[in-house]
Amino acid sequence: MFSSDDTIVALATPRGRGGLGVVRLSGAQAQDVAQALLGRATVLEARRATVTTLMDGVGGRRRAIDEVVATLFPGPGSYTGEDVVEVSAHGSPVLLDRIVALALAAGARLAEPGEFTFRAFLHGRLDLVQAEAVADLIEAVTPRQARVAFDQLEGTMTARIAALDEQLFDLTMRLEASLDFPEEGYHFITPAEVAEGIAVVRGKIEETLTEASQGRLVREGCQVVILGTPNVGKSSIFNALLGSSRSIVAGQPGTTRDLVTERLDVDGLAVTLVDSAGLRPATDLVEEEGVARARGAVGVASVALVVLDRSRAWSEAELQALREADEVPRVVAVNKVDLPAAWQPREFEVPDGVEVVEVSAATGEGLVRLRSALVQALGGGRAVARQSGGGKPSACEIVGAGGGGAGGCREERGPGCGGGVRAGGYGAGEDDVRGIDREPYAGPGAGADLRTVLHR
Amino acid sequence: MKRVYDVVVVGAGHAGVETAHAAATVGCSVALCTLSRETVAQMPCNPAVGGTAKGHLVREIDALGGLMGRAIDATGIQFKLLNRSRGPAVWSPRAQADKRRYSEWMRRRLDAMPGIEWVVGRVGRVAVSGQAARGVELEDGTPVWGRSVVVTTGTFLNGLIHVGPETRPAGRLGEPASIQLGESLRALGLVWGRLKTGTPPRLAKGSIEYDGLKEERGDAEPVPFSFSTGRVEREQVLCHIIHTGDKAHGLVRKHLAESPLYNGQIQGIGPRYCPSLEDKVMRFPERERHQLFLEPEGVDVEEVYLSGCSMSLPASVQERIVRSLPGLSQAEMLRPGYAVEYDFIQPTELARTLETKRIRGLFLAGQVNGTSGYEEAAGQGLVAGVNAARQVRGEGKFVLSRAEAYLGVMVDDLTTGGCLEPYRMFTSRAEHRLLLRIDNADLRLTPRGREVGLVGDLAWERFGARQGRHERNLARVRAGRVRDGARTVELTQVLRRPGVSLAGLASEGAVQVETGPGPEMVELSSVETEVKYEGYLRRQEATVARQRRDERRRIPSGFPFDRVPGLSREVQERLTGVGPATLGQAARVPGVTPAAVAVLGAYVKRWGGWIEA
Repeated sequence: MFSSDDTIVALATPRGRGGLGVVRLSGAQAQDVAQALLGRATVLEARRATVTTLMDGVGGRRRAIDEVVATLFPGPGSYTGEDVVEVSAHGSPVLLDRIVALALAAGARLAEPGEFTFRAFLHGRLDLVQAEAVADLIEAVTPRQARVAFDQLEGTMTARIAALDEQLFDLTMRLEASLDFPEEGYHFITPAEVAEGIAVVRGKIEETLTEASQGRLVREGCQVVILGTPNVGKSSIFNALLGSSRSIVAGQPGTTRDLVTERLDVDGLAVTLVDSAGLRPATDLVEEEGVARARGAVGVASVALVVLDRSRAWSEAELQALREADEVPRVVAVNKVDLPAAWQPREFEVPDGVEVVEVSAATGEGLVRLRSALVQALGGGRAVARQSGGGKPSACEIVGAGGGGAGGCREERGPGCGGGVRAGGYGAGEDDVRGIDREPYAGPGAGADLRTVLHR
Repeated sequence: MKRVYDVVVVGAGHAGVETAHAAATVGCSVALCTLSRETVAQMPCNPAVGGTAKGHLVREIDALGGLMGRAIDATGIQFKLLNRSRGPAVWSPRAQADKRRYSEWMRRRLDAMPGIEWVVGRVGRVAVSGQAARGVELEDGTPVWGRSVVVTTGTFLNGLIHVGPETRPAGRLGEPASIQLGESLRALGLVWGRLKTGTPPRLAKGSIEYDGLKEERGDAEPVPFSFSTGRVEREQVLCHIIHTGDKAHGLVRKHLAESPLYNGQIQGIGPRYCPSLEDKVMRFPERERHQLFLEPEGVDVEEVYLSGCSMSLPASVQERIVRSLPGLSQAEMLRPGYAVEYDFIQPTELARTLETKRIRGLFLAGQVNGTSGYEEAAGQGLVAGVNAARQVRGEGKFVLSRAEAYLGVMVDDLTTGGCLEPYRMFTSRAEHRLLLRIDNADLRLTPRGREVGLVGDLAWERFGARQGRHERNLARVRAGRVRDGARTVELTQVLRRPGVSLAGLASEGAVQVETGPGPEMVELSSVETEVKYEGYLRRQEATVARQRRDERRRIPSGFPFDRVPGLSREVQERLTGVGPATLGQAARVPGVTPAAVAVLGAYVKRWGGWIEA
């Protein structure tokens, strides 16, 4: 029932590279732990951001490793209701991990997932369901997600659970009454009524669970994994889609050894874009690990974005890259169209539902079409909040694009078709937002069974 | 030199007799004040003891060394084990009493105790000096000095009886109310409220036409209440079931304006679960009939109790209603039903020893604390009697936990939540119901009773034998193996199957069991339940162990709940009103959320540190 007396620490911002990263401490010793990490002269004032240095090492070997901003939020007015210190550092994963490790060494304990919010709940700052919704709100990276999260915050979910609770309470009450008043000469409840009551509640729980799992798709978004042989420009496309330079981009094959992820809003859908190491026989252990991770990422991807390089000669490796992803819906980006062409996309037969877009990450040509193709592959982007009777979004539904996705693609194939967005586009516009009797989200997989891969 | 008793008991009802008996048993000198020696342990309402959860209370009182179980076993005229078809946790004995003999049995029992002196008279006030009770003063001015005082005045405090438009001050029909004592208690600053209860008319046995009425028999093999009773010897009687109908309901509706319950004459709050006929008709209009019982009040008495038909309409209307019922067209009404309004002291004024928090040495027990029922009263009487005695002798408090006894649940409910309506015990009030069964009341509580000196040598010896039997039976069952078709399986595995009973297995020769003088079904249930429900029992025990931690976190008395930041004003006020003694109790105060408890815990710790008890 009680929060323990220990102080917890965790990275409060998403893992990965970013401009800034925040390490958060909460608990009775939050200030002490922070003081141990920060420059000796640091004086933390309540709710005031203090620029200071973050120190590593002990005694004479203590040295500054980053310039940070630290802010103290004293309990019980803080988010968790306890003393909270937030340290904003530069966004290097290595640095942030080090700060967390230093906090652990200074007496903090690594927070369990959601433990900050749990403590907020324990201290009466939030009710349980609100606590979950706040976590969603923090996570929300697109307005649509924010709306769904806000709906829960408002208490729709709370009300639903309360209604279930009430029904179960009523059942319990009548069962208890039949035990406590055995002599009254009438039945408070019959076995059949008990069974029926339980069945009704069960049905509603299952319904809620189903909706919640659909909500999870909006909440957690989908993954787009960028695949391709080394140096075809995967990271360039990754950065071009993000609109900023995040991955290390260099002309040397094998630069991106780890998976780099970033979240972006594609037509209202939260998409996690995963940049992977190039798919090729690895030359060292680290790279081998990177390739293995890339393959692992494909396994959980909603869509694979296969990048091909039009400026250099076609090889078996390109075919291999396409085969890597034949389990998931694919979009093919033919990159470097600003350079002289070594081959032409129209020379290939494209399986149903696979979109081929010519782009240049360097000039930005074709990027708008690439985004649209991704949206379509992700199910037309019609992941929407269902409108309830009251006009207030109550539960979240993902509406699939039906089976076909880019159906009709084959008919429209022809000379020059490789250059643009396929007909079908969004499939249906906003009018179709409530077309909820369609299939649940499945992506365009039905049209993309990929019996064949691209071949000459 | 003036005589100073250790314990002065005010009232000799069901609470008072247990208080006097408990205090005298452990060696205290007791003054037992009563209006009349003829009304000791009287049953002014239903002449019955037990029922669901109430039967559990009686078993517990008996296991601790109290009187009620033995009294009803000696004077019961129809025994029934309720909920027999349900699980053993809700089996509950009930018996109708020969009410005159019950009262006599109790009086003789107390007469035989040298430590008890009777004081016949009306108590006018509790004598208090220096915030401590010093005894009482009778209305005629006679002082009765005591080192502690236990007030068990039932419905007598400012009692007001209603029969139709007629009202008269009375504690029970024909007995004057205690007006001065009520004022004396209020003057001490105790928070009080007003409740109401009612009773049905009594009919003359000879005027009832029994032919054709449905008979209601007790159990062929009565299950006694007391662990010391082998067999119930007294002759058993029949009851009869009848139903109300259109005519009776029509009369109620027609004369509703004359019912003090419905015309605003009665202010007190009545028990919802024991509705009057007026309530039954008005609140359940869809029901065409209500079940009533005709219960004789004794083997050789003329009065028959019309159970289920309490009302406070004018006597002439009651008579017409009664005569509309089957078999009662010629019935003679010996006395009408009535409603009684009375003052009670809000039990949040009490510590879990039932001592008032304001006045040292002043204890309250029974209906005066807002409860209803003889069993609830008797249980409190025992708790208050033991604690008054222990306080006088400078010994520690006697507090039963919620996981230990229904008595613990009741006292905790009362002192934590207070009373908004008359409090009746229910099995659903006990969160650890599976642990609190009638069969194991002795295993749970007899050692506690022995500890405080209530359980005598004979009973203790008997308990030792019973505990030995239980442990041997359990060991044999756990070690046993039986043929099951082609293979041999563990006996416990077979016993866990639905429909398989230990008695059955024993009769087939699969295992040998020992039983005592009491009913085999109940004795073996301790073993059978331990095996059949083992997983559930362990789970409840684990919960209990977790909660015990919070029960050990004591809140110092005088802790300023109103100065804990982060608690809403409402929660602050509730906590201040109840003054919980532990963090666990604080968590049970109505309206206190887990978050509030977390905050409170943090501040109690900051304020003075835990006192780990």
